[in-house]
Amino acid sequence: MKKFEALIIGLVIFVYSVFISGAAFCDNAAAMKGVSAMWPAEIYGWKIAEGPTLYDSKTAYKYMNGAAELFIAFNMRTLTVLQYGKSGQPSITLEIFNMDSSADAYGIFSFESDDPGAGVGQGSEFGGGLLRFWKGNYFVSVYGDKPGTAVEAATLSLGGKVSSAVKETGGLPKILALLPDKVSQYEKKQAWFLHSHILMNQRFFIAYENILKLSGNVDAALGQYVRGKDKAYLLVIRYPSQAIAADAFNSFKKAYMPGAAGMSVKTENGKWTAVEKRGEYLAVVFDAPDEKYAAQMIKSQTGRIGEVK
Amino acid sequence: MKTGKSITRRDFLKGTAGIVLTSAIGAGLPSIVFAQAKSRVIVVRNAAVIDQDGKINEAVLQGMLDDAVKAITKKKTAQAGWKSLIKRSDIVGIKTNAWRHLRTPAELEQAIKSRVLEAGVDEKNLSIDDKGVRANKVFQNSTALVNARPLRIHHWSGVGTCLKNYIMFVPTPSEYHPDGCADLGKIWTLPVVKGKTRLNIQVALTPQFYGRGANFFDRRYVWDYKGLIVGTDPVAVDAVGAELLRLKRMAHFGEDRTMDVTPHHINVADKKYKLGNSDLKNIEIVKIGWKEGVLL
Repeated sequence: MKKFEALIIGLVIFVYSVFISGAAFCDNAAAMKGVSAMWPAEIYGWKIAEGPTLYDSKTAYKYMNGAAELFIAFNMRTLTVLQYGKSGQPSITLEIFNMDSSADAYGIFSFESDDPGAGVGQGSEFGGGLLRFWKGNYFVSVYGDKPGTAVEAATLSLGGKVSSAVKETGGLPKILALLPDKVSQYEKKQAWFLHSHILMNQRFFIAYENILKLSGNVDAALGQYVRGKDKAYLLVIRYPSQAIAADAFNSFKKAYMPGAAGMSVKTENGKWTAVEKRGEYLAVVFDAPDEKYAAQMIKSQTGRIGEVK
Repeated sequence: MKTGKSITRRDFLKGTAGIVLTSAIGAGLPSIVFAQAKSRVIVVRNAAVIDQDGKINEAVLQGMLDDAVKAITKKKTAQAGWKSLIKRSDIVGIKTNAWRHLRTPAELEQAIKSRVLEAGVDEKNLSIDDKGVRANKVFQNSTALVNARPLRIHHWSGVGTCLKNYIMFVPTPSEYHPDGCADLGKIWTLPVVKGKTRLNIQVALTPQFYGRGANFFDRRYVWDYKGLIVGTDPVAVDAVGAELLRLKRMAHFGEDRTMDVTPHHINVADKKYKLGNSDLKNIEIVKIGWKEGVLL
């Protein structure tokens, strides 16, 4: 009887394993088919030496350790990696990230851009041998292992080829349009699109816990507004439903504005925080110089909601 | 990681959040000096350790490691120094770092390995690993660890530190990413590593002092420092490493250009987890070898 039970258990495990690995293979094959036409076999004498290797959000950690979390926070679907080699020349690594949307491709590109543009894709930068660009749902990086005129020319050309292979362009995150360029004398200096409270805290620390209930299907736009040395922040968030927005509103009020009678509060640095919920949107102002300005900032974007839906 | 009551920006502004929050919004760390013994950190450098093509001279590197071990253990020979750190009966894991752009050099791994074997450890009781440590029998059963990783800035933790290098011992490393990996020190209290680390080595041969993004190596901000930062106190080693990167940014940019994340996990490892000294006033830096551009 025991032998029979063991046989059955073994059979079940075998069938399950075949099913799972088969499903994974089909998924990978389908994903690979979608991107395989994106890269050339050769560029300026550099030929494919390794890859393509396909990763998804569960396996990307094997390739890039904890760095994968940044891409996953922008809804990465797959990552395809190839390495190009040429005798006597540094290797070139091509990384193609297929994101959930063009907004996410833009989001990951713009979250940390620092270098001059390179005229590739819908937005790009090139510095230190690294080309980064986004187009449609794709974010792409191309990197030469060592400096050199030839390898940099090949890096840029490879990026251009990949960009050309992406036929569809995509739009910027709509929610960014809710951030006005100017509110009174404060001008927008920087703006970020994101989904993750960890990344939010990197740009403007709010709380350890995710009190605003940010997640992969929640879009947020954070704007930094500057007047001289003064800085104020306007955060606009769109939730999948009004109920989730209400939950986030209550969570924020409880954690950040306990005891506040109204929708605004003077914080310990003498500045003002205000919050307002409208439909599935939440707007929060931090470090406004006074209550009136906080209300003005809130009003500056709520009137635009209907325009960008 | 859950921390109980949610600590917000306002707690920081009130000054009620305690030491854990001190740097979460980029403010400087308070200079709290506890009455504890000074930690010693060895900074050993040699101009000949890397040639013009970036190739590491194994013999020179071995000599640097030996000098550091002699200095930290105050023994006359490196072998005697290693024997004071590692017992013959120890099961030894050498925790390295395999980040492909700037990894723990294989030459250093071999230099450590050869000295650990000379200390009498059976080769079957020795392993070198990074990502596979949780499944590695030697690491699972280890009684001693040697911790060696390259010094560089880091997207999640501000600085890639010796403290950070143990994140592969936990099943879900990303749980430690919030708030600039503030609670990395907690990993050092887990049974798999607690009390086992005999030596910490920040590999500062070619550190990276600035950069953007999670996965992007930037050779513009890498320089040939040609050094190792070595000590038994991981917090002190990391504090010195972080200070070196800060000083290099000052020298390069003419200002301490703001990083997205401050390395406040070093301070938290000191004040909350009591793992060592983070205050440079409590650290004796012993400099050996090449002095040009030492910065510290």
